[in-house]
Amino acid sequence: MNNAKRLDGVTARSAWACAWSIAALTVLPAVQPSSRVAAQEPPAPPSPFAMPVPPVGRLVAITNATIMTASHGTIPHGTILIRDGRIAAVGADVQVPAGAQVIDATGKYVTPGIIDAHSHTALEAVNEGTQSVTAEVRIEDALRQDPVSLYRELAGGVTSALVLHGSANTIGGQSITIKLRYGLPVDSLIFQGAPPGIKFALGENVRQTNVNIQPGQPRRYPFTRMGVEETLRDAFTRASEYRTRWQAYRADSTAWTRNRSRTRGAEPLPPARDLELDPLVEVMEGRRQVHAHSYRADEILMLINVARDFGFHVNDFTHVLEGYRVADEMVAAGSTGSTFADMWAYKMEAYYAIPHNAALMAERGVVVSVNSDSDERARRLYQEAAKAMHYGGTPEDEALRMITLNPARQLGVSDRVGSIDVGKDADIAIFTGHPFAPGSRVDMTLIDGRVFFDRTTAPTLEARMQQRQPRRPPARAASGGVE
Amino acid sequence: MNNAGRLDGLTAKAMRAALVGVAAVAVLPAVQPSSRLAAQAPVPGRATAITNATVVPVVGARIPRGTVVIQDGRIAAVGANVPVPAGAEVIDANGLFVYPGLMDGGTQLGLTEIGNGADGPTDLRELGDFNPHDDALTAVNPFSEIIPTVRVNGITTVLTSPQGNQISGQSALIDLNGWTAREMAELPRAGMIFTYPRAGGGGGFGGGGGGGGQQQTPEQQRERVQREARALRDYLANARAYAEVRSRTTDSASRPPVNLAMEAMIPVMRGESPAIFDVETADQIRGVLSLADSFGLKVILRGASYAWELADTLAARHIPVIVGPTTQLPAPGDPYDMIYANPGVLARAGVQIAFRTNSASDSRNVAYNAALATAYGLDPEEALRALTINPARIFGVQDRLGSIEAGKVANLIVTTGDPLDVRTTMKYVFIRGQSMPFDDVHTREYERWRNRPRPAPRP
Repeated sequence: MNNAKRLDGVTARSAWACAWSIAALTVLPAVQPSSRVAAQEPPAPPSPFAMPVPPVGRLVAITNATIMTASHGTIPHGTILIRDGRIAAVGADVQVPAGAQVIDATGKYVTPGIIDAHSHTALEAVNEGTQSVTAEVRIEDALRQDPVSLYRELAGGVTSALVLHGSANTIGGQSITIKLRYGLPVDSLIFQGAPPGIKFALGENVRQTNVNIQPGQPRRYPFTRMGVEETLRDAFTRASEYRTRWQAYRADSTAWTRNRSRTRGAEPLPPARDLELDPLVEVMEGRRQVHAHSYRADEILMLINVARDFGFHVNDFTHVLEGYRVADEMVAAGSTGSTFADMWAYKMEAYYAIPHNAALMAERGVVVSVNSDSDERARRLYQEAAKAMHYGGTPEDEALRMITLNPARQLGVSDRVGSIDVGKDADIAIFTGHPFAPGSRVDMTLIDGRVFFDRTTAPTLEARMQQRQPRRPPARAASGGVE
Repeated sequence: MNNAGRLDGLTAKAMRAALVGVAAVAVLPAVQPSSRLAAQAPVPGRATAITNATVVPVVGARIPRGTVVIQDGRIAAVGANVPVPAGAEVIDANGLFVYPGLMDGGTQLGLTEIGNGADGPTDLRELGDFNPHDDALTAVNPFSEIIPTVRVNGITTVLTSPQGNQISGQSALIDLNGWTAREMAELPRAGMIFTYPRAGGGGGFGGGGGGGGQQQTPEQQRERVQREARALRDYLANARAYAEVRSRTTDSASRPPVNLAMEAMIPVMRGESPAIFDVETADQIRGVLSLADSFGLKVILRGASYAWELADTLAARHIPVIVGPTTQLPAPGDPYDMIYANPGVLARAGVQIAFRTNSASDSRNVAYNAALATAYGLDPEEALRALTINPARIFGVQDRLGSIEAGKVANLIVTTGDPLDVRTTMKYVFIRGQSMPFDDVHTREYERWRNRPRPAPRP
């Protein structure tokens, strides 16, 4: 079965709210700036962002920076040394070796690259919305080459993202964790070594109560939160039986192989592969993370119970707008929370969302991240994270962790990214000022020590306006300088 | 009116989400807005003095250790050496800042409660293309739960407007407190809301007028835009003719039959009521300027993401622009920072700008919208003016609102710092001299749930 083809076929049909509104899809860019379209026809113009592979031993030093490490406080005046794309040294007294490329960050703030734990960026299709269990679908197959959204998110300091299937289905497709290596071939986006995941969804989107059903069009099961639970239990019951059949086969097969006697009979036949149930078995065996779109406290508790009954746990509840009401239960279940900063009232199940949610969940011991679920919001996640300070008095370090180290922990990649520590990937954002201060913006973004966004070469409005300046005749000295 | 009554009405409309409805009623806040408001009512004649504060009057220089005296809803005095009246309630604001209350130049506040899946509490878009006789103020719900959540972030006055179609109706400038919509109103009719027709497609912006832009070919879109622009021009020509006939006929016998829509257009055609045009592109703006020339309209532009293309023209013609929301993506192919940088370009060219969120629930973020623009070229002082005195001037209420000056309405905020900084918190929000409570639905839920006992085993 060709997943990519199937996804293409349903793009139009499923072009509706992925998580909160139809806007999520309408802002998907359809056109890319022509200079950056990855041309199939040779000779391709060299993309300004597709850099040659750096030589082995390449050294980069970011100097004179205020370094917010996210793991061990802020270094007021320090240097980060990068070797072969990884952080080789960080501190106030790091010597810059000869031959290093130096990025002078005097007066600037350096943070870990921002990690967006809920994104639909770079996707050709978001929802396989034809049925409520589509575990076989892989979002990886719908990644696009060079979508401009990636560039714009880089310009907001984002370096990694969890790209999720939409929330149309109780059990949606398999997710993919990416690094925003814009300009490189599409396969280069994949964050190698990140744990695989799958999207679950609960509540109104799954029930399709906010979808315009045409006259005569049948409603899709489930239509109530009761049906959502039943759909989950049905899927995992089938997956359990499927797993048992495979376990029995493997035992039989091993016994048959070891049995050298002439009476051992025919070789046992394996059960038929089921691409829908394979990922669910991986979930039950702890080999695939569950990212669960959720709003209300009741449905969060429901999924915690279902997961416990089938021997797995929910890695992160995403949106989780009423997480503040069941934070203790989430901690006890080993689940984390990834939420909006302050979105609310856009539908009934978001009516008791509060902007203190991130702060309050964190106070209760939940590992919390602040996510975007939007190519637009992703560009200003640093401002969103500061809202945890504004509403809930979250300490500055913890607010920064909500967009760096905490999502890294949630996605199982905190050994690689999320903080500025020796040995980690050099995924870094350089801000003109404190990332939470009103006048600050991102000037440079690095992934693996390579510059993927640089404001000085970026297509800015100022550059566009200069291009458009009408050519004026040379000023005449006698005119008195008035044009 | 109490919360229970209002939510019941709301859930009745949203009955298909029966479970949701039950849950909503079950978690009703115990405190009624009426009692909270009554508890805060100021004593007539008694002054409030905010002392030792850094006063940022917006008009005029900062006062490092200043005093602001509030009496009978107005600013009685402001300055470095202002005496505290006898018997005044004194707020020692040492280390704090006083700013004018912030203004959002375009919201849906009071007109919508829940965006999707519950139509009952949404009164934004009337049917029909031309609805100049619809008044936003009629549908403003003063007890919307969203209003207090905006107020606690320092936003004291907003323009709330109907939307959609070609002429959506009259907007209202309201203070975010009052027992009735009429009490809230600073201007019951602040300006007529128009949407200039636009070819659809491109970016996340709403298409103009007739809609359906996404499905149409470019040729069809051009035809639709021309048709709608013609219809708008015809409508304005009729309105002008009606207004002229009305002004010439004084006796009721010779008057034409009363047409309520045309009556509502009279102040617009006389240039007394602003014509507020929601636009995005330079083509739309050119179309609006042409209408302004033909009919003598007093134009205000809103949205206007591409206004930078015509910044000098708009400055020369003294046409103000209410930009935003800045939380939008530019269209594919546009500069990555276009939406953030547009306000700064306009301000530097001399255009008077203000900000809007075009939202109800997101109105509390209007200052953070402006903050994004300051990161991309807008002067921070100008950003502050764009949230205070500029919108006051644009709507013609600069003698009442928008700065801290003696005699103005006491819409003030006492903060820990720059209101554009997300980390800043509000200590006091005054509307017409009344100190607003900080108990909105969100703070109530926060206090309730942070005090939830740890789950215990069932006894």
